[in-house]
Amino acid sequence: MTDADNRRRFAALAVPHLDAAYNLARWLTRNDHDAEDVVQEACLRAMRHFAGFRGDQVRPWLLQIVRHTCYSWLKENRPAEIVALDEGDEPWREGMAPFADEPPQLAQRKADRAQINQAIAGLPVAYREVLVLRELEDLSYKDIARITDVPLGTVMSRLSRARGLMQQALTPGARPPLRSVSRLNRGGEPS
Amino acid sequence: MKHNITPLQVHAFVDGELDLTPQLEMEAQLAQDAALRAQVQSAQSLRDTVRDGADYHAAPAALRSRIQALGGTPPQKAAAAAPGQRWFAWRPMGLALAALGLLVWGLTLSLGLWPSSHDERLMQEAIASHARATLGQRLVDVASSDQHTVKPWLSSRLDYSPPVHEPRLPGVVFLGGRVDYLDGRPVAALVYKQHEHIVDVFVWPTLGADTPMRALSYRGFNVHHGSRAGMNYWVVSDLNPGELAVLAQSLQIAELAR
Repeated sequence: MTDADNRRRFAALAVPHLDAAYNLARWLTRNDHDAEDVVQEACLRAMRHFAGFRGDQVRPWLLQIVRHTCYSWLKENRPAEIVALDEGDEPWREGMAPFADEPPQLAQRKADRAQINQAIAGLPVAYREVLVLRELEDLSYKDIARITDVPLGTVMSRLSRARGLMQQALTPGARPPLRSVSRLNRGGEPS
Repeated sequence: MKHNITPLQVHAFVDGELDLTPQLEMEAQLAQDAALRAQVQSAQSLRDTVRDGADYHAAPAALRSRIQALGGTPPQKAAAAAPGQRWFAWRPMGLALAALGLLVWGLTLSLGLWPSSHDERLMQEAIASHARATLGQRLVDVASSDQHTVKPWLSSRLDYSPPVHEPRLPGVVFLGGRVDYLDGRPVAALVYKQHEHIVDVFVWPTLGADTPMRALSYRGFNVHHGSRAGMNYWVVSDLNPGELAVLAQSLQIAELAR
């Protein structure tokens, strides 16, 4: 009885956030089939822990579990993607580069959909997730910090770095570092 | 000339995430620093490019019905879509329908409620809420015509993220949003203005199937309501029914285009 109630309540609260859950999983796994599996698995996990859920913010809570499930999946299936980031102490040096010389506005306008998608898909996972959560889910820094389990300052620096990389990728004539990163990850052999 | 604003802060400014002191510092600096303005514009244009250009992957219907089924809600669409198995499901389905009928009948008897009276009560609540907001001085909690400001503000105060659209109709201004209380829960109210008429759009999630927009009218207020894509919509205004229908439609179309 209580279990059934619990499940009904869970479905009622979780279903409105299913698009957000799937979108995150789809961008992290980068394919439809695995994203579906991951979201379903995450929902089962979430339901199991739902009795202990006392907060009022379902969305970040659910996305946190989805993200965690994605990372388990990546660890098993794309271990090369979770290599440690060179987070470094100069997190905004790259964010700075595109500001220095200023041709980007025109370039961006010409960037087409495929190019933008490709640029996001080519970002390292840790940058990709903050960018997707911010630009596609419109989440606050605070929620993103909670979902990705890092301090607020790290969210800021990763977001800044992610945007710096996006700008580089979308500026024509620039060396295309992003595409080669994604190829490296598939091969798993950094050169 | 010299300032200590980092690119991190530029991005936080663009995202509306700066604390008050750095925000003021930033605004003061922006007024006199063209290079900084260019940085902000560049960050904004990148943000818009990504938001407009990147694919949003909505959950496939099959996944949605599987998750709904977890809660014990019968995935009706899936049952209807499998005609080959209909003979098999006929009997339990008939029984389930009969049981459901009895249950609904019993509930309506015991509570003295019909579904339409729920809608009517909601309509009155929505109108009361609209009237209170227009009579008082507090139309909006977050005053901005930028959906990228209003949406995260509302999302962070609700357990869902309401769809927020800037109307593409001449003469309609997007004033912002507030959190209101309807149907026993906090809901998002999006506030628009057309020729001195205030329009409130209340949005909150529903589990029910989509229902087409219906126009109602009550004590001089015009109301449109319906649900789509898992969201309940109540549009309330003293605007005339025709104009309200056009506005409601434009918001709906904006959503279809997403």
